[in-house]
Amino acid sequence: MKRKTLKERFKAFLQDIKQNPDALKSAILSMFVMGLGQFRNKQKSKAFILLGVLFLIIAVEIFTGGYIYALTGEMNQFPGVPGEMFPKINFIRDYGGLFSKGIWGLITLGQIPIMASYRGNVTEAFNKVLTWLSADNSMALLGQGLIALVIISIFIGIYIFNIHDAYTTRKKFNQGEAIETGKQYVKRLWTDMFPYIILLPTLVMVMFLILIPFMFSFLLAFTNYTYKNASLLYTVKWVGLTNFTRIVADAGWAGIFLDVILWTLIFAISASVTTYFLGMLQAIVIESKYVKFKKFFRTILIVPWAVPGMVSLMVFRQAFQQDGLINKILLSTNLMPTFSNFFHAIGLTSSAEGIISWLTVYGNAGLTKLVIVGVNLWLGAPYFMMLITGVLTTLPKDLYEAAAIDGATKWQSFKRITLPLILRATLPAIVMTFTFNFNNFGAIYFLTGGGPGRPNDLVPQSMLILKGVPGATDILISWIYKLSFTANEQLYNMAAVYSIMIFLFIGSISVFNLARAKTLWEDD
Amino acid sequence: MKIKVKNFFLSLLSYGWLIISCTVVLVPMLWMILASFTKGDSLTGVPLLPDPSRFSLEHYKYIFTYISVSGSQFSDYLMAFSRTLTIAIANLFGVVFFAVITGYAFARIRFKGKKKLLLLMMILQMFPSFMGMIALYLLFRQFGMTNKPILLALIYTAGSIPYNTFLVRGFMRNIPKSLDESAAIDGATPLQILTKILFPLIVPIIGFIAVGAFMAPWLDYMLQSYFLQGQNKTIAVWLYLLVQGGNSAYKPLHFMAGALIIAIPIMLIQFYMQKYMVYGLTSGAEKG
Repeated sequence: MKRKTLKERFKAFLQDIKQNPDALKSAILSMFVMGLGQFRNKQKSKAFILLGVLFLIIAVEIFTGGYIYALTGEMNQFPGVPGEMFPKINFIRDYGGLFSKGIWGLITLGQIPIMASYRGNVTEAFNKVLTWLSADNSMALLGQGLIALVIISIFIGIYIFNIHDAYTTRKKFNQGEAIETGKQYVKRLWTDMFPYIILLPTLVMVMFLILIPFMFSFLLAFTNYTYKNASLLYTVKWVGLTNFTRIVADAGWAGIFLDVILWTLIFAISASVTTYFLGMLQAIVIESKYVKFKKFFRTILIVPWAVPGMVSLMVFRQAFQQDGLINKILLSTNLMPTFSNFFHAIGLTSSAEGIISWLTVYGNAGLTKLVIVGVNLWLGAPYFMMLITGVLTTLPKDLYEAAAIDGATKWQSFKRITLPLILRATLPAIVMTFTFNFNNFGAIYFLTGGGPGRPNDLVPQSMLILKGVPGATDILISWIYKLSFTANEQLYNMAAVYSIMIFLFIGSISVFNLARAKTLWEDD
Repeated sequence: MKIKVKNFFLSLLSYGWLIISCTVVLVPMLWMILASFTKGDSLTGVPLLPDPSRFSLEHYKYIFTYISVSGSQFSDYLMAFSRTLTIAIANLFGVVFFAVITGYAFARIRFKGKKKLLLLMMILQMFPSFMGMIALYLLFRQFGMTNKPILLALIYTAGSIPYNTFLVRGFMRNIPKSLDESAAIDGATPLQILTKILFPLIVPIIGFIAVGAFMAPWLDYMLQSYFLQGQNKTIAVWLYLLVQGGNSAYKPLHFMAGALIIAIPIMLIQFYMQKYMVYGLTSGAEKG
């Protein structure tokens, strides 16, 4: 069957309305007051529920706002003063409730900072009595606006249901079909609603602690909210795509951004690949027939997985200090000059002299990155070792026997049988590890803190002024962390911009995974 | 004869490799233990081999007795420990509660919009939790909700609902539906079916997610460093400040002692949970 076009559907809709003028009346009644059409349809319980929702929304708006003060004369007592920055009373700002003020706040992000002159008075941080004297707080308004937006969307959904329901019920009634009474409806509602009722706590949690914050972060990318604007002295403004164009248009910013992105990718790929293949090697060696005491070796090699990563990373941070474990071993075995010269010869360090600085010198950044990948290998290999050991025990033995009969060498049967089977069984884990490493905050932050720092002459002037310069080993996530948390460097808006970048990148990988994991979210 | 030589050579190679691997794995850990028992404040004094003349319990003493908050009965370390413990326990109960009711609804009840909600959960599960972190921090600060460990547990719980829901749902789908149906015929309400019939059967998966939820706050740093500052530091933040470097708070040997005490119980739990790890991984990612 051909799908109807929008125009055809609209025509059919008009036709339907013309044929049922009585049902239309119910619908129009419900359009004006929620539940009124249901009254006309003699479904009292349903009508009361809908009416209740409407009243609840109105009551919330009235009691969270200052309408009562406005009506009792506050507006006459403190009128707007011509000649001020805001000469007229801004009614919604001053007296609006959760919804109206929320939407106003979402659009404007506030207009009146602290110490401004408004209605003949000086605004304060917070005035309990004359609430309009409180300065606008952009972030609170943005939060309130999002909450209002979500609740209003839900309300609009109920409102549309209410009109549709009034119409169809009346239509059925007129066509002589039996319609359920309000009481039956309430009873059915309870059984039908049971899943929604037990899901409600989860939905509320997810909405307030995941979805709304997510939208909030997303919107921050389009504002000028930085540590400089993070006070009541300034209100935050929408700035459109300025933050995005900055990292594209400014060559200095683009260079640093690309530098970070590139290192993030290199780290994520090399960390995943090295851990995977070392894990596989360990699993194969331990499971081979040449090794006894398998359990003993396995237990020891799993230790890095069992120790909390945070702790071992910080221990390694100490081990790679100037006076740490590694340098001590190199010194006591007289290998220091050999290593020092070697790292210099392959271009990882800037000087071949004396004791090696593993983590702190910008010229040695290449070496620092090598250390990060190496330490991550120490931490991550056991996971794949365990996983692949599990896969190895499930490999079908007869395949190898058949291969041996056909004259395949050991290497051939490994390459053609073992490797493909392991790869297929562990593919989801590889993808997961890659996305995990892309956001592997700990591996960077606990080990190097993002350092060594970039010298000032390699950073564009505008970034030096705004601050929030990434270190040489910062990946996106650790940079975002610094951007939103280091004192006097908080560029919340730029942090949000980079978060969106990660979101897009991880999102595209996730879509790939989602298609694979269809059985998970499809219902049976 | 030739094969025997080859075998001998290969086993020598294998053992050699494994012994090197074990050394690399163990040396940093042994060094950590050694350092925590060494006198003084700097790494320079830590010997490569145990040296009785430098043995000292001062760092452990510091951990258990140093009190910077006046009026506190317990050391800073123990207070930080108890804060993380509070978050861990609250998170455990939160996650189990939400995962069980949500997983039950998704596994056993038919309702409109289920597929869309499942898809939403799936998408939420895939996005990194830090995405909303800046916003949560700003909002929490706005409403004076930072520096309260219990409220932080809420964030952990919300973030882990999607993943754990899928674990519970997957586990429940393997329990025959005829059990619920016969109970329903006997007049059991859906809630009774969950608490009386299904709950005893899903205890294994509940154990699995409970341990996971309990462990999460011990292994995380980012959220805690955002939300709990000053006198409200958790163990992770407290430890990191000791090794951050570049300031007078840099006390690597105090860190070694504090970290060791926390690492040992976690390590034991991890070893115990090891056999379930592969299960959690595959059931989360593949069959459902």
